[in-house]
Amino acid sequence: MENALQVKNLSKTFKAKAGDVVAVDGVSFEARKGEVTVIVGPSGSGKTTLLYLIGSLESPDRGEIRVFGEDIATSGADLIQYRRVRVGFVFQFFNLISALTALENVTLPMDLRAVPAGEQRARAVELLERMGIDARLQRTKANRMSGGEKQRVAIARAMANDPDIILADEPTGNLDSATGRVVVDILVKLAREDGKCVIIVTHDESILEVADRAFHMMDGKLTDHNRDG
Amino acid sequence: MRSIRRGFKSFRRHPVGNLIVVLLLFVCLTFSLSMLVVRLAAESQVRSIKRSVGNYGEVRVSSEYILEVFERELEKGERQRNREARSMNEEEELADRAKFHLPEEIADAFSRQEHILTYDKVMNAGIIVLNAVNSELAPLAPYATDAELARQGIEGLNRQTLSNLFVFEGNTNGASASDFLNGSKRLVEGSFYTYRDHLEKKPVVLAEKNMAEENDLGIGDTVEAVVVRGSRNNRTMELEIIGIYETVLAERDSGSILDYNPAGNKLFAPLSVVQELNSMPGYVELGSYYFDDVDSTAALKEAFEQEFAEGNRYEFLTDFSDYEKISEPLEKVGKTSLIGLAGALGACALIILLAMAIIIGGRTRELGVLKAIGATGRQVILQYAAEVTCICLVSVILATGATVLISQGIGNWLLSSSTEQKVEEKETRAYTGNYLSDRKLYKEGGLYSPASEEEEAVNLNVIYQGDLLVYGILILLGISLLGMAVPVIWITRLRPARVLSME
Repeated sequence: MENALQVKNLSKTFKAKAGDVVAVDGVSFEARKGEVTVIVGPSGSGKTTLLYLIGSLESPDRGEIRVFGEDIATSGADLIQYRRVRVGFVFQFFNLISALTALENVTLPMDLRAVPAGEQRARAVELLERMGIDARLQRTKANRMSGGEKQRVAIARAMANDPDIILADEPTGNLDSATGRVVVDILVKLAREDGKCVIIVTHDESILEVADRAFHMMDGKLTDHNRDG
Repeated sequence: MRSIRRGFKSFRRHPVGNLIVVLLLFVCLTFSLSMLVVRLAAESQVRSIKRSVGNYGEVRVSSEYILEVFERELEKGERQRNREARSMNEEEELADRAKFHLPEEIADAFSRQEHILTYDKVMNAGIIVLNAVNSELAPLAPYATDAELARQGIEGLNRQTLSNLFVFEGNTNGASASDFLNGSKRLVEGSFYTYRDHLEKKPVVLAEKNMAEENDLGIGDTVEAVVVRGSRNNRTMELEIIGIYETVLAERDSGSILDYNPAGNKLFAPLSVVQELNSMPGYVELGSYYFDDVDSTAALKEAFEQEFAEGNRYEFLTDFSDYEKISEPLEKVGKTSLIGLAGALGACALIILLAMAIIIGGRTRELGVLKAIGATGRQVILQYAAEVTCICLVSVILATGATVLISQGIGNWLLSSSTEQKVEEKETRAYTGNYLSDRKLYKEGGLYSPASEEEEAVNLNVIYQGDLLVYGILILLGISLLGMAVPVIWITRLRPARVLSME
C-alpha cells in the first residue's frame, strides 16, 4: 500500500500559566492508503493535538508532516486547499452547523470550493444515502438528529470533497456502543472500499480490532501498540 | 458571491436572534433618522426664512424724538403754541409740519449703503376729495365736532368735509407698495403707476373697488383732491384713476374716529403727487429698504448710527425680531435634534456592537467548523458581513418608513416645546414693553393694514426628499462597518482547534 502520511519527529508545546505543556513530543509514524490507523491513549495524552497538527488546524513547533511526499508543515504550503481537499475531519462532538439541514452541512465544504450547485447536491445525496441517511433526514436540521445520525452526516461531510485522509477524533466518544460500532464500520469501509487513509484517535481500545496499524499515545509520546503489547 | 448568499441564508436561519437585533436597531435608527430629518428641515427653513424675513429695514423719525417734541410742546402751553403758529412764515410752517418726517435726501443717501438691494420712499396723507364720498366715514360725520376735527391738522376739514376725507399713500412705484406686495390688496383693473410717473409727478391714482363703485368712478375718470394748505391758495388737483384694486384683508378700526379706515378709504398715488398734495416736497414718512441678508443688519445699523441718525432724531428699524421670532424656535429644534441624533447614533453603535458580540460569541463553534472545513478568513468575513448588512438593511428600511410616519410629529413636539418657552418670555416682556418701540413696519402693510397684528405661526415642514435615503444609506454603511468590526476581529483571532475541542 502507498504511504499517504509520514510524520517525522513532530513536536508541539503549549504555553500555560502553570508552565509549558508538551502535548506532542517527537512523534513519528506512517499511515497508508486503504488502511485504518488507530491511535489509542487516555485523555490529555496529546492524541487530539496530533490529529489537529496533521489536519493543519495547529502548527507544529518542529518536525515534518508529509502527505504523499509533500511537507505541509513548512511555510508556504496552501493549508486552506489542504484542508479542503486532502483531509476530512470527523469530530467527537460532531460539529455540524445546527441551523443547517443534513444536506446543507454536507454541501458546505463543496460550496466553499465553488463546486457547481447541482454537482454539490448530487454528491451530498449520494454520500448521505451511503451513510444510511434517507431523504427525509437529509432535509432535517442537524439539531433535530440523534447522535448516530449526526456522526454519519459528519462522516459524509468529511468525505464531501473526496479527501485522501480522514481524521476521526473520538468518533464514538459521544455514542452508545451499538451506534459507535456502526460508525466505526463506516470508517473501515471508507478505508477498505474507497482506499482512504483513515486515522482514528480514541481512548476506546475496542476499536483496535479494526486497526491495520495501531499506536499507543501517552504524555505526548507515540509507541507502536503491538510493541507495547 | 457564494459567501454573500450563505450570509443571506444565515440571516434567514437565525430569525429570533436577528429579529431582536433588527427591532433594537429599528427603534434607534427611527429615532436617529427622525432627529436627522427634523434637523435638516429646521436648517432648510431657517435658510429659506433668511431670504424673506430679517432683510428689511426702514428709516424714519424715532419714537424717542417724537416723545421729546411732544413734551416740549406741552411745556409751552396752548396760548404760546397758537402765537408761534400765527407768526410762522411759509418756510417755517413747512419745517414745523415736517418735524416728524424724513428728509428725502437722507432716504436716498442711505440707499447707497453696501448690502442695500432695493428701496422705496413712502408718505401718507389725509386728503379731501371733492367729487367722492367716503361712504364708510360719512355716517360718522354727525358725531364729530368741528373743534375735534380741526385738531387733526387737515386744512378745511370739518363736519361737511369729513365724508370726503381719504387717505393717500404715496410711494415710488405702485406695484411695490407693501399692501400689494404682501397680498392684502390686489389690483383688479387697469395698471399700477410707475417710477417714471413718480419722477414726472403724473397725477394718477389707484382707487378701491367698492369706493369706485359707490362713487360711480372707473378707469379714466378723475378725482379732485384738495391740496393741503389749499385754503390759502384755494388749489385742487385732478387725478386720473388708472387702476382699481380690491381689499383682500379688511382694514381695522384703530380706535380713533379719523383713523377709522374702512376698505375704500385709501388711494394710492405716486410719491411726488402725494408730497405735493400734502405740501411737503422733499420729505417722506419713511425710507423702506430690502438688503441682502439678515446677517447684514448689524453693519447697516452701525452705518446708520454713524452717518444718518442725527443723534436720536432718526431711527433704523428692521424686522430682525420677526426673523428671530421664527428662526429661534427652529434653531432650538435643530440643536435639540442634533443632541438627540448623537445620542441615538451612539445607542445604535452600542446595540450593534453588543448584538454582534452576542451573535458571533454564540456561534463560535460554527466559525471554527467553517475554518476547519476549508473556509478562508475572507469567506467567513464576507458571510458575516452579508448577514450584518441584511440586519442593518431591514432595520433601515423599516426605520425609514417609520420616520416618514413619526418625524413630523416629533418635529412639531420639539417646536411646540420651543415656542411655549418663547411665549412665556414674550408675556413677561409685554408688561414692561414700550408702546412706541413696537411700531409697525411698512413691510407688514401700509397704514391701517392688519398684518402686523397677526402672529406669524412658526411651522416646521418636514419634507422627505432623496436626502433621507442617502443619509439612511450612510448610516447603514456606518453601522454595518461598526457591526462587522466585531466579527472581523473575532474571526481573524479565532483558532479553530481551540473551539472544536470544546464540548
